[in-house]
Formats: sequence, C-alpha cells, structure tokens
Amino acid sequence: MSLMQIHDPVGAPRPIGIDLGTTNSLVAYVPLIGEATCIRDCDLDPLVPSVVCYRADGGVTIGKDAQRLAQQLPQDTIVSVKRFMGRGAGDAETRRLGPYRFAASEGPVVTFAVAGDRVVNPVEVSAEILRELKRMAEDELGEVGGVVITVPAYFDDAQRQATKDAGKLAGLQVLRLLNEPTAAALAYGLTERQNGTFVVYDLGGGTFDVTVLVLDNGVFQVRATGGDSQLGGDDMDRALAQRFLRAMGFALEAHVPPGHVRVALDAARAVKHALTEQTVVEAEIEVPGDKSLAQRVTREEFEALVRPLVERTGVACRRALRDAGITTKELDGVILVGGSTRVPLVRKYVSELFGREPLTDIDPDQVVAIGAAIQADLLAGQGPSDDVLLLDVLPLSLGVEAMGGVVEKILPRNTPIPASAAQVFTTYADNQTGFELHVVQGEREMAEACRSLARFTLKGIPPMPAGLARLQVRFDVDADGILKVAARELTTGICQSVDVKPSYGLSDADIERMLLEAYDHAETDIAVRALREERVEAERIVAATEGALAADAALLLPGEREVIEAAMQSLRAAAGGGDHHVIHTRIEDLDLACKPFAGRRMDRSIARALSGRNVAEVERDTANAKGIESHLGPRPEH
Amino acid sequence: MDPFATLGLVPRFDLDQGELESRYRELQKALHPDKHTGAPASQRRMTLNKAVEVNEAYRTLRDDIKRAQALLALHGNAQASGEREVADPELLMEVMELREALGEAKVRRDLTEVKALAARVDALRAGVRSGLVAAFAALPASAAAAQLSPLAAQVSRLKYYQRFLDEVSAIEDEAEAS
Repeated sequence: MSLMQIHDPVGAPRPIGIDLGTTNSLVAYVPLIGEATCIRDCDLDPLVPSVVCYRADGGVTIGKDAQRLAQQLPQDTIVSVKRFMGRGAGDAETRRLGPYRFAASEGPVVTFAVAGDRVVNPVEVSAEILRELKRMAEDELGEVGGVVITVPAYFDDAQRQATKDAGKLAGLQVLRLLNEPTAAALAYGLTERQNGTFVVYDLGGGTFDVTVLVLDNGVFQVRATGGDSQLGGDDMDRALAQRFLRAMGFALEAHVPPGHVRVALDAARAVKHALTEQTVVEAEIEVPGDKSLAQRVTREEFEALVRPLVERTGVACRRALRDAGITTKELDGVILVGGSTRVPLVRKYVSELFGREPLTDIDPDQVVAIGAAIQADLLAGQGPSDDVLLLDVLPLSLGVEAMGGVVEKILPRNTPIPASAAQVFTTYADNQTGFELHVVQGEREMAEACRSLARFTLKGIPPMPAGLARLQVRFDVDADGILKVAARELTTGICQSVDVKPSYGLSDADIERMLLEAYDHAETDIAVRALREERVEAERIVAATEGALAADAALLLPGEREVIEAAMQSLRAAAGGGDHHVIHTRIEDLDLACKPFAGRRMDRSIARALSGRNVAEVERDTANAKGIESHLGPRPEH
Repeated sequence: MDPFATLGLVPRFDLDQGELESRYRELQKALHPDKHTGAPASQRRMTLNKAVEVNEAYRTLRDDIKRAQALLALHGNAQASGEREVADPELLMEVMELREALGEAKVRRDLTEVKALAARVDALRAGVRSGLVAAFAALPASAAAAQLSPLAAQVSRLKYYQRFLDEVSAIEDEAEAS
C-alpha cells in the first residue's frame, strides 16, 4: 500500500489577483484544484468597498466599516480614490463634486487633509485598501505570493506607476499590472474556449475602457484600446446628486457642506441601483440637521440626466474599432464588464452601438479579479496551460515636446508592448551642455493639452558648436505599460545620467520614506523582507535552471554543465545563510554562468516558432505554382 | 534591422496578413516577458530585447507605408527611411487642394462633405496601393536606384493620403465629442 501524497493547503505562498476598483475592490486566487475564485469576507461578500476612513484617534478603517463612517466623517473618509491616482494637485477631478479637504501640497501630487492632522496622498490611501485585501487573502491562504493588480486599460503612465507604488507600499510583490478588459477577456475566454474578435466594454465606478481583442487558441491579442479614465458610475451619481442638492435648497455646489455632499452622493447611488430593476423610485433622503427630503425619480428622468455621459463612451468605441481596422459586423461578441453596465440605458446603448446583444453571462463585478488571479497563476509558473499569453498595447501615444510646444510622437497609441523607440536630438546653441526634454502622453497636438509625464535634464554634454551634439533618447515601455527613459550622447558615446523629475508622481525617495513610516521597526523589517525575497528568488532560479538543464541537455557544451552545477551549489549554500547581499551576488553568478546556454535555448525556441513557416511556405508555393499553370492554360502546339 | 527576417517572412509588399499574425503570435509565445518570469535577469533581458524587436517588426509589416519603406530599404533606397522626401509638385498641388476643401468643410461643419472627401482619398489610396503591389512584384532583386525612385514617390503619395485620412478621423472624433 502506498501512501497518498497530501498537499499542505497553507504550504507554498499562493499568487493572487487584485481588482483595485474605484467603488469596490476584490481579491481572487486559483486553488490547487478547481476554478479561480474570489475571496469573501465573513458576510460571504467578495466586494470590499474602496473606502478608507482616517479616524481622529490615528487609526484607519477600511471597507464596509469605513463606508458606514463616510456620512459622519465625510472629509476624513476617502471614497473613489482611484480617480485621483497619478493626478496633480490642480487636477480637474479636485474641482468636481466631492466632500474632501485638499491639502496645500508641497509636491506635484494631490493630497487629502484628514483627521489627526494627517496629510495622505492617493498612493497611501490605495495601499490601505491593498493591505486589507492582502489580510483577507492571508486569512484564507496563509502566505500570499506575487500579485497581479488590474488597472484600466486607458490608465496613463503616471496612473500605472502610482498603482504599482501602492502595491509596493502595501508590501506586495507586484508581478504585473494587467489591463482590466484584458483580465476580463482572459476569465471569459478560458471558460468559453471561443476564438474570434471581441469587444470588451468596461464601464466601472470611475473609469471607462473599450478594448478590441482577438482570441486565438489561448492567445489574447489586444488590437486597440480606448477610453476615458475619468468617466464612470460616479459621474452618474454626481449628476443625480446635483438634482438632490438643488432640492435641498443649495444653489452652488461650492457652498455645500461636505456632509450634505456625501448624503446626496450616497442617495444618488442607491437610487441608481434601484432603477436597474424599477422604473420609478421614491427616495427618502436624510438631510443632516433637517427633516428628511422625499424625492421621486423615474428611470426616464435618470436616463435623461446620464445620457450625455453614456454617449461619451461611443466616441471611444468607434475610435477603437477604427484603430483595430474592423467594423461591428466583423465582431464575434461584446463582453460587458463593470458595475455600471447594469444600468439599463448602458445595455441598450451598447447593443445599438455594436448591433448585437452583449454577453452578460459572467458577473461583471468579479470577472476582472478572476482574470487577474489566472494571470498571477500563469506568471508564477503554476498555470495549467503553456499556451495562454496576453499581448497588450500602449493605450495612449507617447511623445516629447518639440519647438513651439507641439508634440512629436515617439510611440503611437496601440503600439504592441513591450516596445522601445529611440529619437536623436541636437543642441540649438553653441557650447550648450544641458538639454531639457519634456515627455508627454496623449493624443492632442499641443504638449500642454497632453499629460505631462516627466521633465528630463540631460547634463554633461561636451561643449561643441550648435547642432553637432547628437543626443539619443531611448524610450522603453515594459509589459506593464510603464515608461523608462535613457539618454546617450552619440558623438562621445558617453551614457548621460538622466535627471528624472516626475511631473505627477512620487520619487523613489518618497516611496522609501513612506515604506519606512509604514513599519514600526523599519530597518530590521526591511532587511528581513529583503532576505526572504532573495531566498524566494534563489529558489525560483535554481528550479528554472534545473528545468532547463533537464530539458535541453543536448544544447550544453562540454564542461558547461559542471560550471552551472557549481554555481547552483554555491547559490544553494548562500540561500541557507542569512546575508541577502551574498544571495544576490550568487544569483548574479549563476545567471552569468547560464548566459551562453540560455542564449542557445532562446535561439532554438525562435527557430521552432519560425519552423511553422517552412510547411506553410511550401504549401503556398505549390499552390502559387499551380495557379500560374492554370492561368497559362495548355501550351500552344507549335 | 530587417523586419521580414525577424519574423521569418519572405520580403514582399503583398504580405499574407494571416501568416503575419500567426508568425507574430508564435514568436511572442516563445519570447514575451510573461513566459520568462522565473528566469535569471540576463535571460529576461535577452528575451525582452528580442520580444521588443518582434513587436517592432510586426508593427512595421502590418502597416502598408512602413512595409513599403522597409522593402525599399532592403533594396538599398536611402529615401525609404524618410530622410529626404521626394517633393512631387503635382502631388503637392493635389493634396493642397484636397486639404483646402477639407478645411472649408470642417469650418462649415459639413460632415457629409468631409465623408465624401474621405471616400475620394480612400479610393485614390486604394489605387496607389494596388499599383505598388504590382510594381513591387515586378521589381527585380537587384533593382537600380532609378527603378526604385518611382516606387518611393508612390509611397510618399500613400503617406500624404494617410495623413489626410488621419485628419478626417480627427475631425470626426471632434464632431462626435461636441
């Protein structure tokens, strides 16, 4: 009799997927056996309201409890913080209807003044939500491994960077940022096993995305994406809340006390939800310090209020279809994602726009988190299939400000990522030793109308006459859609340091400081964490190397295996010790030892990918040859 | 970098789109960073650089104008890289007139006229494109510079038409948004 092998359910850290939403957030994972699933709280509810309340006693309350405090502490309770991610202090969002107290910020980032004389920025607020989700996941799974966090496809570089920073601040190992529509398609596509061209229409609490993608046997290739990162259910709530505030006797939004704003927004959301099923709602609104206000809202009235918002989505949809080079007739399906797609007007509008009934058989609230969990599982190498791959695009064009404030596009929108591009600039004055570069993102012609991502100062150019220096600036966009810039002076060949001043972001120093503040015993904690991370990394790399050696022994040169084995052995020894620096060095040593072997493996896999060509080509050539013969017809007889 | 070689395709203007797509996906299955998350740093860098190169080649070959320029570059035509444009006076006149008409239609907010102009330019573009298909097919492997310049001129024409159509799209977007 053999012993059955029993898996320890709280053994290895499990990768998780997080949907960090405007209104609600969710965390999901793929169990060892079974389908991806959302983790639920004690009420069996997977939705964690994205609400953070900073209490006067210095503590923080998150989720449903924070939601309950919102009306009582409207200025200390941050709702829909996602709308502020990566935004500047003077951003339009700060002027929209809301109860907040914006702090006079020293830096470029928008900040909230909350109870206990605290000033918090959107990254810190989001990190609180992420920490709560991490806690939920740890309760269920023991230790959590890497995490995939979803972002709206239309998020720009600053918003993506802010999201990644929030993950870091929450102590999460962020494997990837994943676009929400792509995540939804992954969850949907893997269940339905369908091939074809699909549109994902994702209208959430605060953001709108539309993505056109092709599903081909496990490959999810995004062809085009578009949207509006400041359009969602919140704007519907605001439109209705303004009507309620007028009914309460307020003429100007600017003079409305924060408590009234919160009450009106909450009432508007409740009415909006009720109007999904009902055609008329009688609302009883508890006005602070006054008698309650009765409001009757018909679905027709609500639809008249929000129709302009819904119609705004059409512009992005038509553009995405055009960018993808397809018409609505060529579509195989339209997938609805996001809570706001429950609004009947939205469904009606979408079916008219695309000329077909959208697919709604998946829960629009959970599908993104499920997709994120599947992707996290794949990235951690624990996924079921090797054939699944997500190919995404850059959502908004990247460019630099040229003479006269005009944008010169470096990488256009819908460029497949990862991508890179280089541009050569020159000096315009004699002996100019510095060069200012302004990087922007957006579709508008003038730089001032686009999002300013960063201003770079290239220094140390050797003095020479104007127009002689050749500065090559390289833009690299990674698979997360995040940009890195490097510069080089070509005539001297010297790599120049790039001075990065993020226009609307946190510097690495800011993140480091916030991390330190977040820990009580910061230094030891960080060292402990570094050690743990290096050990995990060491384990991963040893496993990957062993796998490669076993699979491709034939590609090894004489003596090569011994060198690699030795490097692996000393890495194993280092991982047993307590010095993360030593582990790091040994990882690099092993990496170096494997490099030529890894190069041969890559070349072979490319050759394999290309080998399909020969068959197809031969077939086509034969077909062409026949084609020519048939055109020539029988040879003349003389 | 020769984008055809990167994707293992025979250089031709009249490319089989289906084959391009499937070749692209096969290569990314081998190279995309998501397939190398557990790998050591230098291996990740190596495959990442290759994945970027494949993306770039794919972007070039998917686009008529860029693909034509890549072909001309393979034939040794420096103009293909867009360093110096051939300024054909006849083309300039034609385009100027079209743009003027478009500008006027834009001011009048006459979307019907905008669409009509777009249809006209689209037809012109289709004509030039099929001309290029034939011209590239007939081009000998060792074509001389004199044989290349008429093709380069046609590619510039294609570029002007494309820019015009992009402007039309921008006008339509604006009209919809307002």
